[in-house]
Amino acid sequence: MPLRHSRIHDIHVASRRRALQALAAGACFFIARPATATPDELTAALRETFGERPITRGKVKLTMPRLAENGSVVPVTVSVDSPMTELQYVKSIHLFAEKNHLPRILEAQLGPYNGKAVVSSRVRVATSQQITAVAVLSDDTLWSAAVDIEVVTSDCGL
Amino acid sequence: MKQQTFQAGRRDFLVKTAAVSGGLVLGVDLSGVVLAADGSTKPEVTHWVVIQPDDTVVIRIARSELGQGSFTGLAQLVAEELECDWSKVRSEYADVNEHIRRNRIFGSMSTGGSRSIRESQEYLRKAGASAREMLVAAAAQEWGVPAAECKAAKSVISHASGKSTTYGKMAAAASKREVPKEPKLKDPKDWKLIGTSPARFDIADKTTGKQIYAADVRLPNMVHASIVQCPVFGGKLKSYDDSAIKDAIGVKRVVAGDDWVAVVANNWWRANQALRELRVEWDVGESGNVTSESIMTFLRTGLDATDVPVARKDGDAQAALGTAAKLIEAEYHAPYLNHATMEPQTATAIVTDDKVEVWVGTQNGEATIAAASEAAGMPLENVIVHKMHAGGGFGRRGPHQEYTKQAVWIAQKMPGTPVCLQWSREEDMRQGRYRPVALVKLRAALDADGNWNAWHVRQADQSIFITVRPSDIKDGIDPVNVRCFQDNPYAVPNFTDEYAMRNPHVPPGFWRAVAHTHNPFFRECFIDELVHAAGKDPVEFRRPLLKGKKDLGVLEAVVKAAAWDKPAPKGVHRGIAVVDSYGSFSAAVVEIAVADGTVVEVKRVVVALDSGYVVHPDAVIAQMQSGVIWGLSSAMHEEITIKDGRVEQSNFSDYRVLRMSETPKIETILVPTGGFWGGVGEPPIGAVIPALGNAIFAATGKRVRSLPFKNHGFSYKA
Repeated sequence: MPLRHSRIHDIHVASRRRALQALAAGACFFIARPATATPDELTAALRETFGERPITRGKVKLTMPRLAENGSVVPVTVSVDSPMTELQYVKSIHLFAEKNHLPRILEAQLGPYNGKAVVSSRVRVATSQQITAVAVLSDDTLWSAAVDIEVVTSDCGL
Repeated sequence: MKQQTFQAGRRDFLVKTAAVSGGLVLGVDLSGVVLAADGSTKPEVTHWVVIQPDDTVVIRIARSELGQGSFTGLAQLVAEELECDWSKVRSEYADVNEHIRRNRIFGSMSTGGSRSIRESQEYLRKAGASAREMLVAAAAQEWGVPAAECKAAKSVISHASGKSTTYGKMAAAASKREVPKEPKLKDPKDWKLIGTSPARFDIADKTTGKQIYAADVRLPNMVHASIVQCPVFGGKLKSYDDSAIKDAIGVKRVVAGDDWVAVVANNWWRANQALRELRVEWDVGESGNVTSESIMTFLRTGLDATDVPVARKDGDAQAALGTAAKLIEAEYHAPYLNHATMEPQTATAIVTDDKVEVWVGTQNGEATIAAASEAAGMPLENVIVHKMHAGGGFGRRGPHQEYTKQAVWIAQKMPGTPVCLQWSREEDMRQGRYRPVALVKLRAALDADGNWNAWHVRQADQSIFITVRPSDIKDGIDPVNVRCFQDNPYAVPNFTDEYAMRNPHVPPGFWRAVAHTHNPFFRECFIDELVHAAGKDPVEFRRPLLKGKKDLGVLEAVVKAAAWDKPAPKGVHRGIAVVDSYGSFSAAVVEIAVADGTVVEVKRVVVALDSGYVVHPDAVIAQMQSGVIWGLSSAMHEEITIKDGRVEQSNFSDYRVLRMSETPKIETILVPTGGFWGGVGEPPIGAVIPALGNAIFAATGKRVRSLPFKNHGFSYKA
């Protein structure tokens, strides 16, 4: 089969409510400032999802086209350098688009049953921007990667 | 025999160029001159302008030439400020790979929305001015004189002392200078080249058949593919049985994807014949029962829905309608339309372990490289795009590059072998990205004196933006689809435009003029209904409502040219309409005679355009004429219908377009008022369709409220 859609591994989009509950229940750590400056929306979305827990660059590989032909169906693959055993595994993978109207664009719940820590899908990317992936590991550490993406527009609309 | 000669010549040409460059990495300019990619076109004064030692000026063009004249008009913008000898200017495509390597240095490559000139005019004029300043500064430095004392004209730099040199001689020194950030641009009144019509760079080769289109690409050992995609949009390939073509002559292999299957053979005819023998089973998904009627029912839910988003609200239309002296109500409808480009979608690809090379007729080189990169799963740097001229674009070859991806996917199965994928005409008709359907309900109030007091618009239509730019849908309103209403130029005190998006499964696309094809038909024909209800003249009715607006200027221009204030000749009936779109203003008068109450002879179309400035008047007139033909064609003939979830039409036999014998006399009036830059490729279309509808009413008393007119018993006199 052509490289059209890769398999999607048990993706569940977490409800906003669950994240808010987590936040309400939650811990108050500090948020690690990523290597490049991030717009407020991204910071807010990260905080809403992870509270003030530290996020470290590394372990995560985020693959997206540098140039997207159509921003409404952009292929994305996130892989995490982690075993997937009962002792050590990736619990979830999250994607954030800082300039999307709703920045939290994907959340995947994983476990040892997945065999490997890879998620592929297609996502909407509103405009040229930075996309951030965050992985939550079984030891509750948070790891991230970010890529810049440019969205080509070809319409005759206005 | 002649055709064969052309074919051989084309193949010969490509093989030779491949040999010359030692590979396939090369640029082909319009005159067939080969420019090696190794930099033999240097020196580059700015990234837009290359001047060779013999004074040849090569101007790079980022937008695509689709027949609209971009290759010439965009070069004129640069050359005007460059003060070069126009006879030594030629254009070449800005190389897509270089564009990527240099961090998208050529800006947008998108060729749509009538934007090529208006969106790039400033930076291109500045590029020309910067290059001129750099050349002059280089000469002044060499002579030890102030640059201000030097003059540049026709590629020659001179100084009062009698010293003089040429651009070709100074180019190398100039290219080492810093590019001025804010070069001084000429006052439009001083333009010498902009506003004239030099011979277009593309026409000679197109006229003589020398032009290479994507469908003409021939490479050594090339194979050909024909494809069939799930006829029901959104369906998937279930299975196929290729036993019938196992031993077919020339057939190389079958390649399948999620929702398509293709046959590859040693020529296209064999591939397509074998494809027809293939037994394919589709999983048509959930849309297998959709019909044009069920889509209409779905749209109607948008008219009936309560609490829909409001695109514009002035005053209180609802209340004013309640107190109307005369209430006028009508529903208008427009069907799906296909681009039906003369050249069906075509792409050629070669895939090796670490490289993808594609030859594509595209309206956006960047979209093509992005699509090929994604399909191959290779970085942009490993993709080479050869931008070929497109055999018609009209919005089909911009954001929908699935044919490029398919060519890459097929070529991946045959590493190192060039694969030319060409859709059959039938596939092209059935797998379009269609001008979406639209339904509106319009209600208006006239007061006792026949003044237009209130207007309520409810739109129910399909969004294109939701599929390609969803982020630009705000509060449920598609910003393109509400144009013509939301930006209604008529001074109606009480006005509401409500919008209900209804998206059927048929994939929508940007069809030349997009919403400015049907929305002007709805608006301007409905206004004609008000005119007759008020017992007024169509021009008299509009004039006070358009007071002080540019729309009025073009309206007056066609009124004068068509002698609207005098009665039409006996047996001739007229309709008029005005619309602004893509930054320009246009108006049309259509004159017809009708035989037997149904056979329409379009005697004359008078069409006016205010695009602010006109770069190449002859090209603009050609665009106006083609816009009129495009509009008349869709008004009378064109319609895509849906049955069992799929398109019913297959070819030009059942998707009729306007024929030469049906083409009327077209008079174009250009009235550029300056101070703004409007588009040209699409603006003429909107006014023509309603002007024809209004003429048909004037002639027959029959008000046609849905397109095409053929569905109401009308036909053109052949």
